[in-house]
Amino acid sequence: MAAEVFRIRAVIVDDEAPARALLREYLAAEPGVELVGECANGFEALKRIGELSPDLVLLDVQMPKLDGFEVLELLEVPPAVVFVTAYDEYALKAFEVHAVDYVMKPIRRERLAEAIRQVRERMGAEKSSSARQPSGSTLGAAARAPGSHLERLLVKDGANVHVIPVERVDWIEAQDDYSGIRSEGKTFLKAQPLGEIAAGLDPARFVRVHRSCVLNVERLARLELYAKDSRVAILKDGKELPVSRAGYARLKELL
Amino acid sequence: MHPILMGRLRPALYLAAWAGIGLLLGAMAQAVHPRTLGHLALWLVPLLLFYAFVCLSAWWVCRANPLATTRPDRLALAIVSASVQAGVVWVIVGALWGALLQHRWNLPPDRPGTMRDLLILGVSGVVLYAESMAGHYFLLTAEASRDAERRVFASQVAAREAELRALRAQLNPHFLFNSLNSISALAGAEPEAARHMCGLLGDFLRASLGLGARERVAFAEELGLAELYLAVEQVRFGERLTFQKQIGPGAAECLVPPLLIQPLIENAVKHGVADRIEGGTVRVEAQVRDGLLEILVENPRDPEAPARRGQGLGLENVRQRLAALDPRVTRVDVFREAEMFRVRLVLPATNGRENDIHGR
Repeated sequence: MAAEVFRIRAVIVDDEAPARALLREYLAAEPGVELVGECANGFEALKRIGELSPDLVLLDVQMPKLDGFEVLELLEVPPAVVFVTAYDEYALKAFEVHAVDYVMKPIRRERLAEAIRQVRERMGAEKSSSARQPSGSTLGAAARAPGSHLERLLVKDGANVHVIPVERVDWIEAQDDYSGIRSEGKTFLKAQPLGEIAAGLDPARFVRVHRSCVLNVERLARLELYAKDSRVAILKDGKELPVSRAGYARLKELL
Repeated sequence: MHPILMGRLRPALYLAAWAGIGLLLGAMAQAVHPRTLGHLALWLVPLLLFYAFVCLSAWWVCRANPLATTRPDRLALAIVSASVQAGVVWVIVGALWGALLQHRWNLPPDRPGTMRDLLILGVSGVVLYAESMAGHYFLLTAEASRDAERRVFASQVAAREAELRALRAQLNPHFLFNSLNSISALAGAEPEAARHMCGLLGDFLRASLGLGARERVAFAEELGLAELYLAVEQVRFGERLTFQKQIGPGAAECLVPPLLIQPLIENAVKHGVADRIEGGTVRVEAQVRDGLLEILVENPRDPEAPARRGQGLGLENVRQRLAALDPRVTRVDVFREAEMFRVRLVLPATNGRENDIHGR
C-alpha cells in the first residue's frame, strides 16, 4: 500500500500481568509499533502517559483506583485509545469517548492488528486535517448514559489524583473556570466549570442552590430567610451558603 | 391473630359447635331438675357465650407448651391445671350469675344455678376446656406442618435458583473470557503454565457443575471449589491475590447448601482484591460453636471504590438460601468497614451421621 506508515509509540495499561504479556507479544510482531511503557493501574497510567505522550494506549477498563474511562477523562492530551476488555457493556461508552477501537478478551492477534490499522488511519486523517481532539473531561461527561450519575469526582493535583466519592462531597463552589470541591474539611480545585460537573451529578442528591454553588442536600441542616427572596442554607457543620430564588425552588421541589 | 377468629367461616363454625354443646348441657340440667325453659336459657346462654370466649385462651396455653418440646408429664399437668382453673372460673361465674338473676329479677324458685347445675357446669367446663386445648394443638400442628412444607418448598426454589445461578457463574462469561485470555498469554511463553491453568479451569467447571446438582455438600468440598476458583484467579492477579483459611475442628464435615460461599468468594475478588493496587488476602474462617457452623469470608477493599452493581445480588442469594434452611437460627451478618469487608454466615452444624439418626 502506498499509504504512509506512521510509527506508533504505544503504552499498555492492564492490571493483569498475563494480559499485558499477551499484548506485549502481539505488539512486538506489529511492524512500526514501539512499546514504550506498561502500567498496572490507573494512577500509574496517568503518570506514565503524561510523561511519555504515546500515540496509542491499549486501555483496560476495570482496574484498581481509576478505571480506564477515568484515566481518559483525566488526560489533558488524550492519545488514540483502544479499549481492551472482557466486558462488552462498555462498547457504546467507548465510542462516545472517541475510542478508536474496542477489542474483546480473549484477544486474537488479527483483531489487534485490525485495531492498529484503524489507529494508523485515524492518525493519517488527523495529520492531514489537523482536527483537534476534544479533551478527555468533556468527553467523559458526554459519555455518561442518561440516568446514570457520577459516582466519584477526580481531581488532578500535580502528579497526584484525588478520588472523591460523591457521597463525601459537601458542596461545590464555582471559581471561574474551576470548581472548588469541599469534602471532609478540605477543598479540592478541579479544572472543570461547575456547570459541567453539576450536569453529571445525581439530581436527587445534589442541588444547584445558587449560580455559583451545588449543595449535597444530605449536609443541609435548615434554611433561613436572609432578605426578601434570598435565603441562606445552614449546613450541619454550621457553614452558610447563599440560596437564590431559583435555587430555593429547586430545593423545595426535591425536599 | 387467633386462628379461630380468622375469617368468617371459622367463628361461625365455632359458635355453631357451642350451640350444640348448649343444647346438650341444657338437656342434662333439665333431666336432673325440670323447670321453665326460658329461665334456664336466660341463665345458660350468657354463660355459654362467656365460656366459648374463655376456651379461646387455650391457644396461648398451647403455644406456651409446644407439643414437640414439652415433656409428656409437664404437658398433662399443663392441660389438667388449665382445664380445672377454667372450669372453676366457670362455676364461680355461673353461681354469681344465678344469684344475680335471682336477687335482681326475683326468678321463681325453679331458678337455674342450683348445686346440681353448677356440678354439671364444673365437670363439663373441665372437659370442654381440655377438648379446646386438644383442638388447638391440632390446629397448631397442622399449621406447623404447613409452615414446614412451605419452608421446604421455598428452600427447593432457592436451591434451584442457586443452581441456575451457579450454572451462569460457571459460564460467568467474564471469568471465562479473562481466564482464556490468560491461557492464551501463557501459551506463548510458558506453555506448561498454560496447561496447568487449563487443568485448573477444567477442575473448577467440573466441580461446580457436580456440586450444584446436589442438595447438601460437605463444607470441605465447598471450600475446595473456592480454592480452585481462587487458583484460577491467582494466575490472572499474580501475587496481588492470596488466600488464607482457618477451619476449626468439625467444620469441614458440616453439610452446607452447595455453592453457598462461592458468590461471596467471587465478590471478594471482584469487588475487593481487584480494586486494590496492592491486592490483598481473601480469608475464610469456619468453626463449629454451640451446634452452629460459623463461616466468615473476609477481604480488604478500596475505601474509594464505588459500590458496584452485582455485589448485592450474590449476598441476597446467600441470605435467601440460608433463610430457607431454618430462619430461626441462620444468620447473615455483613460488616462493611473502610478497608475491610466481612460476611459472617451462621447455620445449623449438621453432618451426615446425625442426619441419618434424624431421618430414620
